[in-house]
Amino acid sequence: MTTETPFTHIGKPLPRKEDRRFLTGKGRYLDDVVLPGALQVSFVRAPHAHARIAAIDTEAARALPGVLGVFTGRDLAQWTAPLRLAPPIEGLHPVEMTTLPIDKVRFHGDPVAVVVARDRYVAEDAAELVEVSYEPLPCVADTAAALAPGAPLVDDTLPDNLVSHQSFRAGDPVARRAEAARVVEARFDLHRHTHVPMETRGCLADWDAGRSHLTMHIGTQAPHPMRSQLAARMGLTETQVTVISPDIGGGFGQKIALYREELTVAALSRHFGRPVRWREDRLENLTSASHARETHCVTRAAVRADGRILGLELDLTEDFGAYCFYPANYMARVIAMILTGPYRISDYAFDVKVVLTNKCGNGPMRAPMAITSWVMEGTIDAVARELGLDPVEVRRINAVRPADLPFTMPTGEVLEDVTPLETLEAAVAAIDVPAFRARQAQARAEGRLLGLGLCTVVESTTYGSEFYKAAGIPGSGHEAAWVRIEPSGAVNASVGVMGSGQGYETPLAQAVAEGLGVTPDMVNVHMGHTDIAPYGMGSRGARGATAGGGTLYLCAQKAAEKVLAIAAGMLNLNDAQGLRLQDGQVERRLEDAWQATGVSLADVARRAYLDPTALPEGIAPGLDVSLTYDPPAMTYSNSTHACEVEIDPATGRIAIARYVVAEDCGTVLNPLVVKGQQQGAVGMGLSGALFEEVIYDESGQNLTATLADYLVATACELPNIEILPMHTPNRKTPAGIKGMAEGGIMGSIGVIAGAVNDALAPLGVTAEQMPLSPQRMRALMRGAGNFTYGTSFSDPGTTAHDTTTHGTPGNSDGRTGRA
Amino acid sequence: MKPAPFTYHRPASVREALELLARYGADAKPVSGGQSLGPMLNMRLARPAHLVDLNDLLELDYVRNTGGVIEIGGLTRHHRVASAPEIGRDLPLLAEAAATIGHYAIRQRGTLGGSLVHADPAAQLPLVAVTLGAEVVLRSAKGERSVPADEFVQSIMTVDLADDEIVTAVRFPQQLADEGSAFDLFSRRHGDFAIVSVALTLRLDPAGAICALRLGLGGVGPVPQRQTGVEQEAIGCLPDAETAARLARAAAAAITPEDHPQVPAAYRRELVETLTARAFLRAAKRAGVTA
Amino acid sequence: MSTPVPISLVVNGEAHDLVVPPRKLLSDVLREDLNLTGTHVGCEHGVCGACTILIDGRPARACLTYAVQLEGHELTTIEAVAEGDTLSPLQQALHEEHGLQCGFCTAGIVMTFEAYLRENPAPSEAEVRDVLSGNLCRCTGYQNIVTAVLKAAEAMRGGRGA
Repeated sequence: MTTETPFTHIGKPLPRKEDRRFLTGKGRYLDDVVLPGALQVSFVRAPHAHARIAAIDTEAARALPGVLGVFTGRDLAQWTAPLRLAPPIEGLHPVEMTTLPIDKVRFHGDPVAVVVARDRYVAEDAAELVEVSYEPLPCVADTAAALAPGAPLVDDTLPDNLVSHQSFRAGDPVARRAEAARVVEARFDLHRHTHVPMETRGCLADWDAGRSHLTMHIGTQAPHPMRSQLAARMGLTETQVTVISPDIGGGFGQKIALYREELTVAALSRHFGRPVRWREDRLENLTSASHARETHCVTRAAVRADGRILGLELDLTEDFGAYCFYPANYMARVIAMILTGPYRISDYAFDVKVVLTNKCGNGPMRAPMAITSWVMEGTIDAVARELGLDPVEVRRINAVRPADLPFTMPTGEVLEDVTPLETLEAAVAAIDVPAFRARQAQARAEGRLLGLGLCTVVESTTYGSEFYKAAGIPGSGHEAAWVRIEPSGAVNASVGVMGSGQGYETPLAQAVAEGLGVTPDMVNVHMGHTDIAPYGMGSRGARGATAGGGTLYLCAQKAAEKVLAIAAGMLNLNDAQGLRLQDGQVERRLEDAWQATGVSLADVARRAYLDPTALPEGIAPGLDVSLTYDPPAMTYSNSTHACEVEIDPATGRIAIARYVVAEDCGTVLNPLVVKGQQQGAVGMGLSGALFEEVIYDESGQNLTATLADYLVATACELPNIEILPMHTPNRKTPAGIKGMAEGGIMGSIGVIAGAVNDALAPLGVTAEQMPLSPQRMRALMRGAGNFTYGTSFSDPGTTAHDTTTHGTPGNSDGRTGRA
Repeated sequence: MKPAPFTYHRPASVREALELLARYGADAKPVSGGQSLGPMLNMRLARPAHLVDLNDLLELDYVRNTGGVIEIGGLTRHHRVASAPEIGRDLPLLAEAAATIGHYAIRQRGTLGGSLVHADPAAQLPLVAVTLGAEVVLRSAKGERSVPADEFVQSIMTVDLADDEIVTAVRFPQQLADEGSAFDLFSRRHGDFAIVSVALTLRLDPAGAICALRLGLGGVGPVPQRQTGVEQEAIGCLPDAETAARLARAAAAAITPEDHPQVPAAYRRELVETLTARAFLRAAKRAGVTA
Repeated sequence: MSTPVPISLVVNGEAHDLVVPPRKLLSDVLREDLNLTGTHVGCEHGVCGACTILIDGRPARACLTYAVQLEGHELTTIEAVAEGDTLSPLQQALHEEHGLQCGFCTAGIVMTFEAYLRENPAPSEAEVRDVLSGNLCRCTGYQNIVTAVLKAAEAMRGGRGA
């Protein structure tokens, strides 16, 4: 990175501290934490999508040697409080759920009983012996069925399955329709996904009967909120619960909520007075952990003949599944809120419906607002298509320009320090649109289907407390940190966020190092332990850098002030004016140059701890500084994705020939880590858009319970990604950090759809449904006709670096080689 | 996801293995690579009381050319089948297909015998065995018999194998030096079971016309299917794009695939057409001219 | 019928005498009985590749094997790859190229390529991706892993004077 920055440590591509332990097999994930005598559990899960629980016979299971007990919803109801979600949000029904279901099951995989045994093998033997009598009920497997009059109720306490419904209007989009040259309608169907962290869920609960204290070992993105939930649901105070998160094998949003299984395990530990552990198996993870997305959108854009959008309307329906672990409007709200993103649209309305169905409950998954950019950019592409305009020009004419900033979106969201037009032009230049169009025209003449997509993303990040207040969601977006310089001068620090694999340890050490004036290797950042870390809001919504890094940076600056005040006393100066700490050494500015003073951080620390009477007046002993910080309501990063595809007309396979991202995520703490997040997000987005899909049949049976059925993309399906980094600092955050890591999902979903539809354009068909499977491509082509395909026997290959045939690896076409 | 309990047996010889199978009958299950059986055991879709481990029977890990017939031991791993030079030379279709099975680590363990016995309708090796007209050699304590591959594979994951038998070898007719062959498959992801797979061999007469052609299709029905009608139609035709297109259409018309919500019959037909044509042209390119 | 049986396992050059139920997966025995927790369990049906170890030098899924089957074979796990404090060229390249994030899939990838690069010291990008397709990674998008493997291969060739 050659970008000039005012920073010494922030912005350096340091390889990660945690790598060594992971590379040598010395990481400590949940299952690596061993407590002697721990019991194991296995859950009995519903084979039906919707059924009354008539009876549960546990006798045979209990009789199996090695089994300590079998428990059901009724047992858990005596030990734990139900979860009640009733935030004061208009149009949102309050909901409540018991720890395990008592009267009925609501989806295929719902846990109905739990076996406790001395080992997992025996627990699974016993789980097979638990006999549950079900009375099957009619189920609703999609939103249409769920919203039909007289539909079976997923939640018997609600009047209908429409659990949340909100509308909004700014300006007068209906009037704009009347003024428009055309009203362009477009549809977008993003299917059901699931997170698939490589490490499934799990926990190890350890009840200490002597101290009446629960220690919960659990890979969680949000340790303190987890502790609050555990305490509340178990009737404990927060002094009686410690949550410890070890290394986490990926989270992606699946490891935030306190799930029913985890609370059950905690309650069982208290019941038995012994440690109890649970490891979710992959079948459970795919069917019963948390799902995401399944969002259907319709937009109507009122446009002028030149493509300028006068007004925009959005109808959104989300299939939320059977249970609400989050307020049901949580994800859909963000989509509607930031839809207009990089475009100057002031007349805007939305209608957002969230519907319960007999499927696994939804939760946030890396980019809860994943569909947003596809909907907006797909609308732009539809406008261009219907009006016969250049899609790049339609973007330009509508884009928020530098002079428009700060720009207030119709929903009141304010964009500042963003550069969507700049990233668009950078991506357009990098992919060389005119050259591509020439290639495309020639390819079309040969009967080949080439397409180019563009997708500009405005990614909401950080989510300060003002956001939560405005949304009516209980919770906050502030963050807390402490920095401690120990008597030897070693630096410990802590913050309330918890990484789930991104690599927080290094960039956050860089933030502390920068703020304090030491080197990153002198800093150890402790996270994930609620007795050590300050109460923070955890990791979600791309807040690790701005909230986590920003708070640590400010806290370290505060610590530096005290260090320098003490140093001033040691140097017999009146104050710290003209002093700084650099690489752990106090320096003094003399004659326009920084000069060594001979005083080190260790010297200062020794005095602070071991000779406090020598401290300057008014300076308290020790070097222990804490701070809380509430970031802006929202920060925004932005990017433009550009992607070139070729569709094999014969098989429908989509090959990605080139993928470029121009991204501006402000000041970055560690560009190596940021690039990893960009690549990873694009990979996950493409995997979802092209391959992954949770499939339920009409009776609510989950058909994708294994990794052979739920298709996560392999190394042969994902492209190399070219990144054009840009760094416009946010002027309202510490060090100008903006946050990132979800935009890549939004951009990749949008851009692949755009590219595919550009490729399909000569056929006059449009893909409106994901995943963009080869079957779906062929179905569209079959319905189109009227296009002379080239000889369908030359295989255009899969993604550029892939082998032309499966049997003969090594036929890279060379484009993506990195030699 | 842990297997149900079983008693484990580790015979040191084929004879000992066969005695164990004779003793326990349907309660026993032989295991070799375990790459298909392992997941079924872990998911408790299979729950034998006795697991008879064949991995020590190294006498079943071999490749032998017995005058025009290549005999490959049942315990021969996919990686060896895919990479042994003599198989690449004498059975290029088999080597090409074996290299596409699962993934690198899977191919180190999975065995020829195991794949045939598992008989997944989309699996590579049953398709190649059927296409090349291989014989499956089965042995029990009572004796040995051999069954043509197309009779051995009876239905989805169902084969002509008694509870006390194992596959000790597969005998493949050696491919002729001037024979061109090609294997192709289509799967959603690299390494997945195929939606459709195609195995094809052909020979050309001195005039350059096709004098012999074998076409096998996988994933289009419960078992791999030879397309004899298409094979006959090919005789005397030139190995050009026009023939490729015609034979491919004929192959697509000859099958009656199941209509599945995720994979419509029409899509499977289209894949058969495309893959057949592509395999045909590749095989034609590889075919030498008969002397 | 699932009575535990005595077995002797050689792992990373060290012999261990154990008593395990025949049905106990090798992945569980390595982790629980031998405390070799570097081998991770991601799916227990052979797809994800996280539990890949070496059996007699060849990569294999520990979740599709029972420990009882492996008496008389040499097992190698991630714990034996680095020599003391010195990372192997592959581990070093993965570190430098940021070829890992959460680290859960990493051991399986390292084991796969420690074996593969011995078989094919000069792979193409397509070959690396073909082999890597047997290991799922949810964090990286694979790009940096591929770069790291190619870099490691080059370093290893140089080291051998090839």
